[in-house]
Parts: sequence; C-alpha cells; structure tokens
Amino acid sequence: MNNRVKELRNERGLSQQQLGEAMDVSRQTINSIEKERYTPSLPLAIALARYFGTYVEEIFHVDDDQPAR
Amino acid sequence: MSTTTNPRDDTVKRLYRTRWFMPAFALLIGAVMLAAFWIGGNLGQGLGALGVMAAVAALFYFGARRSETLAGIGGPTRDERWEQIDIHATALAGLVVILTIIGAFLVEVAQGHDGSPYSALGAVGGLAYVLAVVFLRSRS
Repeated sequence: MNNRVKELRNERGLSQQQLGEAMDVSRQTINSIEKERYTPSLPLAIALARYFGTYVEEIFHVDDDQPAR
Repeated sequence: MSTTTNPRDDTVKRLYRTRWFMPAFALLIGAVMLAAFWIGGNLGQGLGALGVMAAVAALFYFGARRSETLAGIGGPTRDERWEQIDIHATALAGLVVILTIIGAFLVEVAQGHDGSPYSALGAVGGLAYVLAVVFLRSRS
C-alpha cells in the first residue's frame, strides 16, 4: 500500500518524532509507515487523515494491480 | 490524539507504556520464583533466580532508553505496530513450542515410552488454541 505520509509531513515541516507524538505512536512507527513496511490500523489512518485535514483515501493508496490485504 | 476508542483499552495501554511496568513485572516474577524455591527448600537457587530477574528488570529499565526493541517489549514506545509485532512473535514462539512438543512426543513414543509429559502438554496447547479461537470468533 502506497502512502503520502512523508510528503504531507514534510509539507508541514514536522519531524517523525513530532508526528508520532501527535498520533500517540513511536517515531519508528511513523518511519515504518512512510517506508511502507507497516500498514496502520484504520483508527490510526483516520487520525492521520484528520491531522492533515484530508481523507484517508487521499493519503493511502492500494495499487490497482494489487489486491487489498 | 489517541487511536483507541475504548477507555479501558486506553487505561491498559497507559499501564503498559510506563517505564516501570516491565521491570516491576520481572521483579514480581523473580519474587514468585524465590517463594517457590524457598518453599521447596532451595533458598539459594531462589535468590539466584531473583537476581537473574532483577538483572532483566534493570536491563529493561535502563536499556529501554537506547533500544527500540527493549522499549517496545518493555512499554514506553509500545503502540499498535508493537502490538502487531507482539502478536506475530507470540504466534511464532507458540508454533516453535508446539512443534518441539510434537517432536519430543514422537521421540518418546518411538523409544517405547508413553509420550508423557509431552502428550499432556500437546493436549493443553491444542485445547487452548481451540478455546481461544472460539472465544475470539465470538468477539469478532
């Protein structure tokens, strides 16, 4: 699953640590999400979307040729 | 911003994520082991076990500042990603234990023994799995 978390975070000048604190998760978890090694839970995805003032589907994308897991 | 919705979950999460939770848990286990050895008349071994668990507690308390792994297991950085890691690690460890028990049972049986205590351990593992599946299915 692709995502724009790093792009949105950089646009706001936030560090991974700051975003992690805002989302109540660790810096490493933000890093794992950005590197697409970890797919966040739905509550965390919604929290990220609200934090960035957008919708979940604007941040997270499932490749068209890849079945959703 | 919390990503959990159940207040009880939040309370449990806060408890897990304190720096002293895992050290205190390790010391508690050490104290229980000390009591068990003491009752069995092996106070020296009990003190040794307590010492080992105290070292584990110290490792978690001081090591969590430097190691994400210790902090994740021990609490301070424990979040949903760590909960997933924990679930998968527990499942893998359980698989290893079950395979070991089955292997040991087969060796015992092949040697002409009755397979104990591995048959009982395997039965406990299998029953626990079935009960867990039934319980978790009813909640999902």
